[in-house]
Amino acid sequence: MPMLHIILPAKMDHLKSFIQSLSGWLQHNGMAAEKIPRVELAVEEALVNIIRYAYEDQTGDIELRGDVADDQRFVIEIMDSGAPFDVCTLPQPDIHCSVRDRKIGGLGVFLIQRMVDELLYRREGGKNILTMFIGRNNGRFSSSRPDIHAGA
Amino acid sequence: MEIDVKKEGKAVIISLTGRMDAVSAPPFDKTVDDFIEQGETYILIDFRSLECISSAGLQSILALAKRLELMNGTVLLSDLNGAVKEVFEISGFSSIFTIYDNLDAATASA
Repeated sequence: MPMLHIILPAKMDHLKSFIQSLSGWLQHNGMAAEKIPRVELAVEEALVNIIRYAYEDQTGDIELRGDVADDQRFVIEIMDSGAPFDVCTLPQPDIHCSVRDRKIGGLGVFLIQRMVDELLYRREGGKNILTMFIGRNNGRFSSSRPDIHAGA
Repeated sequence: MEIDVKKEGKAVIISLTGRMDAVSAPPFDKTVDDFIEQGETYILIDFRSLECISSAGLQSILALAKRLELMNGTVLLSDLNGAVKEVFEISGFSSIFTIYDNLDAATASA
């Protein structure tokens, strides 16, 4: 099973390359077509967070890896060497208020959590490592909060 | 993302095609800013050909709605499909915006 492995600078210019490579890899490995946009969205949100916040004024890379586990779940890891940032501990946005009260921002991580079956964060060797597990099939976006664990 | 704009009656109709993400949302912001500066306060966004939207796109739509609300203006949305519709539902945006099934229904309300 060919793995996905891309390392590119954390720049918005490279977002398209990351997503196109991811998309091709998902298709090639038989991810259900209707799930591909959801996985793309989860990964894109994670990449954009890194591009915007991880390195502040410094430059740095993003490493995107994909593999298919024995249980046929897709495993996607996104790594950066920027400031520690545990997405799993962020508060949930209030999604029930009006336009006037609704806060701009805070939705990216919320969407990641809804798009994947399981989300893990760990800090290891000076890197943030975000791991997403996604089943090959099953239907629509999950409506409930997935299992979220803070890594060791 | 392609952004097509036309004026119909008092409404500015903005049709989006492709992906609305962190790269394509800023040009959208610029487009609506220009119209608001020209005094337009009735904006209809046609999502029929939009394939997907990220949080950056949602933020742009929310920022536009907040701005128009302060000006007693209106933003109407039409024709949300597939992944776009589901992201609106998950994020709670479906319940805070006026969404029409298609552009004709939205323009008829203008």
